[in-house]
Amino acid sequence: MLQLNFNQLWRYQDEFLHGMSLTLLLTLVATVAGLAIGLAGAAAAGSRFAALRLLVRSYVEVIRNTPALIQLFLIFFVLPYAGLRLPPVYAAATALSIYMGAYATEIIRGGLASIPRSQVEAGQCLGLTRWQVFRHVILPPALRNIYPSITSQIVLLLLGTSLASQVSAPELFHAAAFVESRTFRSFEVYAVVCAIYFTLVLAFRLAFAGIGRIAFRWPTGR
Amino acid sequence: MALVEISNVHKSFGEVEVLRGIDLTVEKGEIVTIIGRSGSGKSTLLRCINGLEQINGGEIKVAGELVHSRSTDLRKLREHVGIVFQQFNLFPHMTVARNITLAPVLTGKIAKGDAARELARKVLAQVGLEEKIDAYPGQLSGGQQQRVAIARCLAMSPYLMLFDEVTSALDPELVGEVLKVMEDLATQGMTMILVTHEMNFARNVASKLVFMHAGMVHEEGRPADLFANPATPELANFISSVR
Repeated sequence: MLQLNFNQLWRYQDEFLHGMSLTLLLTLVATVAGLAIGLAGAAAAGSRFAALRLLVRSYVEVIRNTPALIQLFLIFFVLPYAGLRLPPVYAAATALSIYMGAYATEIIRGGLASIPRSQVEAGQCLGLTRWQVFRHVILPPALRNIYPSITSQIVLLLLGTSLASQVSAPELFHAAAFVESRTFRSFEVYAVVCAIYFTLVLAFRLAFAGIGRIAFRWPTGR
Repeated sequence: MALVEISNVHKSFGEVEVLRGIDLTVEKGEIVTIIGRSGSGKSTLLRCINGLEQINGGEIKVAGELVHSRSTDLRKLREHVGIVFQQFNLFPHMTVARNITLAPVLTGKIAKGDAARELARKVLAQVGLEEKIDAYPGQLSGGQQQRVAIARCLAMSPYLMLFDEVTSALDPELVGEVLKVMEDLATQGMTMILVTHEMNFARNVASKLVFMHAGMVHEEGRPADLFANPATPELANFISSVR
């Protein structure tokens, strides 16, 4: 019969808290960097230059079709041979940003493409510049279209930050492994960590829903 | 000088030559309706006039400026040439007021805030929709959306307005309210070029009727004359088929 004992875990509160803050930090950094990469990538995917389009295409396909863990290992273990030695947290942030960037590129590209050509023409016909058309006519409805997929992707990213433990970045999952090795309370440790991830994701989803409701008020359909 | 001078315009989409040497002039204050069967090049011609389409030959001048010349600032020109589309093309994420004032504010014609709102109110009054100033396009009927689209054009105080089958996407009972707005504009002296299937409008409001056939201006003249005495069998056929 399994005897549950959570008492021993209390002593490791700080480990869990620090782990959680690094998890959130990695998520934040990779989200911001990933969205920036995604925006640039989506713009490049619509470029006049075939070479640039091919480059973006290859990036997206390579990243999306290989394990994120291997991408992280390449950056952490292989880049040093090229003279670039990144500390674990930096390596993880870089790998996750590149990973997020590929998905964001694809999502944003699709979102921009979903805006009908006639909307662009209407903007042009009112004497707006290309940038004004992009900023005021294309971007807001495109953001609304991509919002559900981009927020799901951020949630996946949050869960994916656990990969960083594999290069010993002390995020939440790494903290769990550490506490487990000290207490041998595997079930309890992972139950607690699981609950923390679950709560974080729930909070993210609630926040995203709220933000979405405030940001996108106009009626759809028709 | 005529406001719009179109001479020998050719336009192809791939192998298909849609416009095969169009000549047409429009004087200030004229109301020109272009009629013709689907595929005769009417809408394409209209879209060439404000540079939405490139042309393969000939030239189009609006207010003396060559529309398809590299040295022409197309953006500047379009501030004065309004176009209303079949599908309204309002911006769904903006209120009616912002749809109307976006371009005047961004192009520096008018200041943000009270002045802009005053302008929105003024042009909405012209189309009879003041009470919808804070609505979103998605909350309006097709006829109302089209009237807002017209108001959005008017806010730029254009000297020429193009109408591309603006009633074709509307339910029959909503056509009248849009035509009424266009008639009002006509009596106020706005120069208008419209592609339409509304034969009564063409007959009663237009000052010039243009019948396009196979990418050419087949006949043009006063509407009453053309409707009463079509010179070619093609126009005679067309008139009897739409009656």
